[in-house]
Amino acid sequence: MKIRILRQQEPDSQAYWEAFDYDGTTDISVAGLLDHLNYNDDIINDAGRKTTRIGWDCSCMQGMCGACAMVINETPALACETFLYNLKTREITIRPLRKFPVIHDLIVDRTLIQENLKITDVYIGKYNPKENEDHRHQYEAAKCLKCGLCLEVCPNYTNGESFYGAMYANDCYLVYARNKEKSADMKNTYSAHFGNSCSKSLSCVDICPMNIPSLASMAKLYRK
Amino acid sequence: MKEVLIIGSGISGLTCAVRCAGLGMHATLISPVSSERAQSVMAAGGINAVTAECEEGDSVACHIEDTLKGGGMIAGRNAVTGLCGHAEEIIHFLEGTGTVFTVDDNGRPVVRAFGGQSHKRTHYCGSSTGKQIVSALIMEARRFEGEGLIDRKLRMYFHSALIKDGECYGAILYDEKSRSLLPVFADAVVIASGGQNALFGKTTGTTLCDGYAAGKLFLQGAELKNLEFIQYHPTTLETAQKRMLISEAVRGEGGRLFYEDNGKRIYFMEDIYGPKGNLMTRDVVSREIDRIGKDVFLDISFLDKKLIDKKIPEVRDLCMKYRGIDISKEPIPVSPSVHFFMGGLAVHLNHETNIRNLYAAGECASMYHGANRLGGNSLLAAIYSGNTAADDISGRVKENGHPDFSRTLKEEQDSLNGLLSSKSSFSVMHIRDMLSDTMRKNMSIVRSGITLKEGMDDIDYYLSVADQIHFDSSESIYTNYSLPAILTLARAAVTCALSRHESRGSHYRSDYPETKDDLAYATLISYDNGAYTTRPDKEKIYEN
Repeated sequence: MKIRILRQQEPDSQAYWEAFDYDGTTDISVAGLLDHLNYNDDIINDAGRKTTRIGWDCSCMQGMCGACAMVINETPALACETFLYNLKTREITIRPLRKFPVIHDLIVDRTLIQENLKITDVYIGKYNPKENEDHRHQYEAAKCLKCGLCLEVCPNYTNGESFYGAMYANDCYLVYARNKEKSADMKNTYSAHFGNSCSKSLSCVDICPMNIPSLASMAKLYRK
Repeated sequence: MKEVLIIGSGISGLTCAVRCAGLGMHATLISPVSSERAQSVMAAGGINAVTAECEEGDSVACHIEDTLKGGGMIAGRNAVTGLCGHAEEIIHFLEGTGTVFTVDDNGRPVVRAFGGQSHKRTHYCGSSTGKQIVSALIMEARRFEGEGLIDRKLRMYFHSALIKDGECYGAILYDEKSRSLLPVFADAVVIASGGQNALFGKTTGTTLCDGYAAGKLFLQGAELKNLEFIQYHPTTLETAQKRMLISEAVRGEGGRLFYEDNGKRIYFMEDIYGPKGNLMTRDVVSREIDRIGKDVFLDISFLDKKLIDKKIPEVRDLCMKYRGIDISKEPIPVSPSVHFFMGGLAVHLNHETNIRNLYAAGECASMYHGANRLGGNSLLAAIYSGNTAADDISGRVKENGHPDFSRTLKEEQDSLNGLLSSKSSFSVMHIRDMLSDTMRKNMSIVRSGITLKEGMDDIDYYLSVADQIHFDSSESIYTNYSLPAILTLARAAVTCALSRHESRGSHYRSDYPETKDDLAYATLISYDNGAYTTRPDKEKIYEN
């Protein structure tokens, strides 16, 4: 099996493709594959030349932290829960998320996600929940990994612009549900940074690794 | 305004930062990655507290006794009393941040049973309690970030503390962006860097928690405590990429452990310990599984599928995703794996170490769990310790100025430069891999003087080559410079295990199988110029 990886040594350096041969089991995830490729003292590419270790972010290795979001065979996904046997190709291409600046190889800078939430005051403040608010929905929305997959597939999201994407809508919903004094503010900021520009492709809903019902968050914030 | 430098942004670091900001101090929160990537998000089962929701007859006194008993009676009573006494307040604090606890039809939190408890008192959020708490705390911290009271610094690593004459004045950090060492001065430094997972390679947690800070501070004069007590969680699932935790919540909801003998299920924990046998403490269950030596399964398939979906959906998903196991129809194959470290930096009741103005909170600190931690007490301790450290720092009189550390800085930078130019046949990851093999083999569930001495010999060899490693530029500079301190921590852990001539809690010695009343003390270990010295804390100096 051929593994092609889009690599980049430094934030400002040129990206390039490098390929590796892999003949192990397909019963592992792409995260397991990257671990395998990096395991030996010397890392050898498909041309037999020694190369550097592949940079990638990982922490939990079980779909709970969102670190390993990347683009696998042109589909954005978490590497730790994308299994080789499901890819059904003899060649696998792996590249970093395209909507974020590359730090090194498959590691990208996602700090803008938190920055956007911070500058628009998406926090509860005083806990003062709305009555009969949907408990289950809050539980699901709070599972957001801030992995960036919903932004990667969104046709409206561009890094650095004022449209902040689906994960923003979910955090707005959490504040809206938990402090009724901020609910009007949250509707306004939601509209300015999401609602008014969302073209409703809903690709964010399909891609979410936590299956967060983002559409329901949007519906609640649209409600008069 | 007081400046607090916090190393680590998981639940303990986040809590400490929020509390510091609430008390009018400025907190700088350092971590290589964002809080969503912290191991805290993997805490599954719940958080213990005696609240109005608990069973009749339960009390804070019961929680204290359960914790002390579960910990082999060597945790400090004063410390545990503080922990359990503040648990209800912590649940209310978490509710006030918007943490989504699982609730009943009236909207009140419900509780579940966990191992070693006399009463049900574990509050929970499905089976992703840690994630729900982290999400709420991130939002709370965001509020103070907006007010300029919390600054987050990502892609930064702890290098060493700035210590002079037993007092800490800040820390040297490694900044991955500029690839340089950076001194940061502060009125207090709080280490909240998590457990020591990397000593054992892959555990149920993240390898980002590597114990480096504890090892480095040990070399700088901080005392460590109880390193021999390592919790093997009895129910983990083998997958192609790691061993994954099957939450104690499964047993809390009635899950039964068994092995098969001639086609017949033997519910061994119930046979040995009675109807509540499956909820014995983790050390006891792990040791029984190890002793049996057969394939063991955890069965919850008899539970109503709707209850599985409601109470343990994350366990259901994990088993299906990584092993194709439908837990509503078939049992889960389980075996023990390293999960938690009861030992770490020795701290006083205020969470200050033996070095003034240097604090430790969360799993990297050793305080409440004695020889074995009860499920549901780690999240509680993470939050309580973060709060306690912040409160103590707030009560201190602010001191101005700091000694001149320019010489220290130059020495550290020169040492790092020397590492960058080093060449030999030893690669850092190769040594790390060998260390984890040694620790898994020699610091396992059952130890003996012979296996521990073998482990010590191995580690001494790794240490002898650690300062001659081949600098691996494709590993991070942090990974390269952290090796000697990680090896030192491993050696200290084996030294503690060798020094305890009895079996207690998670520390089981085949050559000393009995628990001895005259050894019911914590182990303290210190380092001085290559000498590792252990002593029992008979005076309970870390209880005051």
